[in-house]
Amino acid sequence: MNRLWRTGLAGVLLAGVLSACGGGSDETQVLDNTQEVLDYYAAYPELFQFKTPADLPSDLVWESGEGLPDLGSPDAQKGGTQYGSIQDFPRTLRTVGPDSNGAFRTWLLDDVTLPLASLHPDREFEFYPALASEWAIDEDTATVYARLDPNARWSDGEPITTDDFMFMFFFNRSEYIVAPWYNNYYENTFSNITKYDDLTLSVTLKTQKPDFRHHALDLRPEPQHFYKELGDDFVERYQWRFTPTTGPYVIRDEDLVQGRSVALTRLDNWWAKDKKFFRNRYNVDRVVLNVIRDSNNVFESFKRGDIDQFGLNLAEHWYEKLPNDDPDVANGYIYKSVFYNQRPRPNYGLWMNTSRPLLNDQDVRQGLQYATNWDLVIESFFRGDYARMNSVSDGFGEFSHPELRARPFDVDQAQAHFAAAGFTRRGPDGILVNEQGQRLAFTVTTGYESLSDILTILREEAAKAGVEYRIEVLDQTAAWQKVQEKQHDIAFVALGVGVEMFPRFWDTMHSDNAYDDAFLDDGSVNPDRQVKVQTNNMEVLASYELDQMIDVYTQSSSREEMLALSHQMLEFHHDYASFVPGFVQDFYRIGYWRWVKYPEFFNHRTPSLATELHVHWIDSEAKERTLAARAAGETFEPQIRVFDQYREQ
Amino acid sequence: MLALNPETLKKIRRFRQIKRGYYSFLALMFLVLLFVVGELLINNRALIVSYEGELYFPTYTAFHPGTDFGLPYSYETNYRELKARFEEQGGDNWVLLPLVPYSANENHSTTGIFRPEPPAPEYQHYLGTDTTSRDILARLFYGTRTALFFAMAFTFAVYFIGIAIGAAMGYFGGLFDLLFQRVIEIWSNVPFLYMVIIIFSVIPDTFSIFFRIMVLLSVMVLFSWTSMTYFMRTETYKQKARDYVASARIIGASNTRIIFKHILPNVLATLVTFMPFTVIAAITAITALDFLGFGLPPPTPSLGELLKQGTSNLRTAPWIVISAFGTLVVLLTLVTFIGEAIRESFDPKKFTVYK
Repeated sequence: MNRLWRTGLAGVLLAGVLSACGGGSDETQVLDNTQEVLDYYAAYPELFQFKTPADLPSDLVWESGEGLPDLGSPDAQKGGTQYGSIQDFPRTLRTVGPDSNGAFRTWLLDDVTLPLASLHPDREFEFYPALASEWAIDEDTATVYARLDPNARWSDGEPITTDDFMFMFFFNRSEYIVAPWYNNYYENTFSNITKYDDLTLSVTLKTQKPDFRHHALDLRPEPQHFYKELGDDFVERYQWRFTPTTGPYVIRDEDLVQGRSVALTRLDNWWAKDKKFFRNRYNVDRVVLNVIRDSNNVFESFKRGDIDQFGLNLAEHWYEKLPNDDPDVANGYIYKSVFYNQRPRPNYGLWMNTSRPLLNDQDVRQGLQYATNWDLVIESFFRGDYARMNSVSDGFGEFSHPELRARPFDVDQAQAHFAAAGFTRRGPDGILVNEQGQRLAFTVTTGYESLSDILTILREEAAKAGVEYRIEVLDQTAAWQKVQEKQHDIAFVALGVGVEMFPRFWDTMHSDNAYDDAFLDDGSVNPDRQVKVQTNNMEVLASYELDQMIDVYTQSSSREEMLALSHQMLEFHHDYASFVPGFVQDFYRIGYWRWVKYPEFFNHRTPSLATELHVHWIDSEAKERTLAARAAGETFEPQIRVFDQYREQ
Repeated sequence: MLALNPETLKKIRRFRQIKRGYYSFLALMFLVLLFVVGELLINNRALIVSYEGELYFPTYTAFHPGTDFGLPYSYETNYRELKARFEEQGGDNWVLLPLVPYSANENHSTTGIFRPEPPAPEYQHYLGTDTTSRDILARLFYGTRTALFFAMAFTFAVYFIGIAIGAAMGYFGGLFDLLFQRVIEIWSNVPFLYMVIIIFSVIPDTFSIFFRIMVLLSVMVLFSWTSMTYFMRTETYKQKARDYVASARIIGASNTRIIFKHILPNVLATLVTFMPFTVIAAITAITALDFLGFGLPPPTPSLGELLKQGTSNLRTAPWIVISAFGTLVVLLTLVTFIGEAIRESFDPKKFTVYK
């Protein structure tokens, strides 16, 4: 038996290699988990229910995103090849499991596959239909009903049915996929999925949060027929198999050149190609992504015309490497555009570990707030293009605090606070010293090598206020590990945030994530508490008062109550002063060759990348013309545009 | 007076006759001298401040807060602004600034935006500024100083250990030699770069820059002395069998005396010729480590860091890479010329012609 198993494994490994060079392999041991899945459904009767259409509540109000504006331009042409680059060759084609959460996942999952319904990028939490042709919300029970589009097909031609959604729960809750986050999310967010018929289903959430419909409508099914062989060897078995997709792009085996390039091909007969919200999108026939490791080389490739578009977010790129008077820009071959957007912002800033000596002193923390000159960084390094972040959760609309402002750089204020903490005298090097001879010096750890210049600026400025910042630039993984282990003094990191209705507080501010048993039952500090590692509470922030608010907030289903609490907690956090808010990039900007076309009106509210919605197209004819004109020295009208309808500050 | 034996005097005379090497040596010594008094040449602290009839020499002292000179702030005085202010006031107060009035770490932009600026003598940025508007000459100067002094210390340490162990192995031979050779073989197979990376990842940042440099130096020495022992060992073996060693032993000279007084001067020629290569290896190694990001923490100035900045801004700010690369070329050329001259002057076979 054991031997058989080993042979099977060898076959799988071999298949992995072979499938990369074309075609599957007959040697793969074929599994069939149909019965296992059915048994699983039976084992969780509360979660998986089977009913008939007659059981649907009669008073449901079905909606289908009527009245929402189209996406993309009717002028869009299908066709052409888009050339881009990736920094690393994808380590797997799986969308879950080890190594799957890389930059390439946007091409496999995030930007290309369809959920039941998608957030409209220009509206406040309104949805347009994708896999579901219509849906109904039951506020009281936190249930979302959906009718699948009867035309919906997987890229291999199989119809998309309710079974694929049922299977999605089996898949994401299973241990096979080695993805604890997914296991946890599906376990704790949803309480029921019901199949009414092949195209009708309902999903119920455990708590009725104001944004519960988003969680339900954002569900993306998994193809049950493809995952028949799901088992303990999932990670290896599915490593290089392209999962059938609900979206328009597929990766063919021959387009996967290990270590060098990946190409995506558009499905000619994609089921959603004529739907209202998709007909003008996903226009490019083929996307070729070559591996280019060094970002300078990517830029050079772009300048040569080998790559169509290049992100110019850094001031260095926008002003120095591709200035407006660059010949290619001035002659109209390359266009430059700035797009302002509105979405939750990654919270770049200094996170202080309040379990450390000195940093556990509120006066020291407040002094550091005034001693950190982000304003100079924004003014001189980012050239005034970025804005100051004001709280830890900016960009959540009403849920962000309307009045809180980050403290400005102010040497006198800083010194007043440091003096209150006992630091009154400057040592021979100008750094403040207290009675015990302790220097006011902290290590600032970061994994952003490209942003380490910022820290050198902060360091020079902080010295004026009598603080020394020692800079530690580590490899990204090592830096993150250090912060997760709570070994840092101060960390310069940012947590990424998706488009969500309201900020999360539990992860970063609750004492559950700071200490084991932070408080005794009466709310006093537990003297034996130990710092808890591997959590996102990077400030080791533990406050009994704040905990109470977070608990209410997490349980609450009233928007008003959550709104008030959110503001209250942000004020608390501001006063606690353990996070020095850094900067906010409230735009993105790109340079693109003139054969890349964007809709005339193009400027959507929430994207963080111009290509995210796939509304652009490639004009092959213009490409030929441009290259010929460039060779002949002919010029076009230059184009530098600013789309600022969503500019906030 | 230092009494040199005639043989050594002859070698020195010959070294001076080899003009290329001799002038390179003088130039390098001049550089070393400049580096020693570097703070007087390139620094944002003034050399002399005359304020209210009193003289201040801030270069090597504790910092002077602005309030010392009637300025409204308590942090380190900006002496460039102080000078401008005194000149504007027109009183008896004056400030004497160094030739290049910038420190290696301060961001000084002429436009308010931190970007590379081309060389501008009017702002005393003689080699321009780097990507965050720091003076390149200052960074280059202090970076090179670190590299050169590092290389010298490295060479000294490697020679000291290499000679001692190599000579002992050659002279005593036998089991000692056999065992030590095996130890060296094993030791020299430990990958050096990984060791540096591992050791640097566990050193806490609270340690000062100087301490980190010393750690880097020790690690590099630990992994570099082995090659020196091979030459030393074989040479000592060779000399040990000569008659003069036997005679020394007969008159009752001690082992130490024989090794240091008799054998060492005779094998020196071989060793000295390796010296420039060791210096070059050290400079290149510290530069390479910085280039890869495993060297000294920012904002410590270094040649490697400048080279890295330079290569990523090749088109937009060529002056960065030109300065760093130029310095490296000049430094390595000087050392090579000196090495050639030393080898030639120590070579007893002056008139040998190889065909």
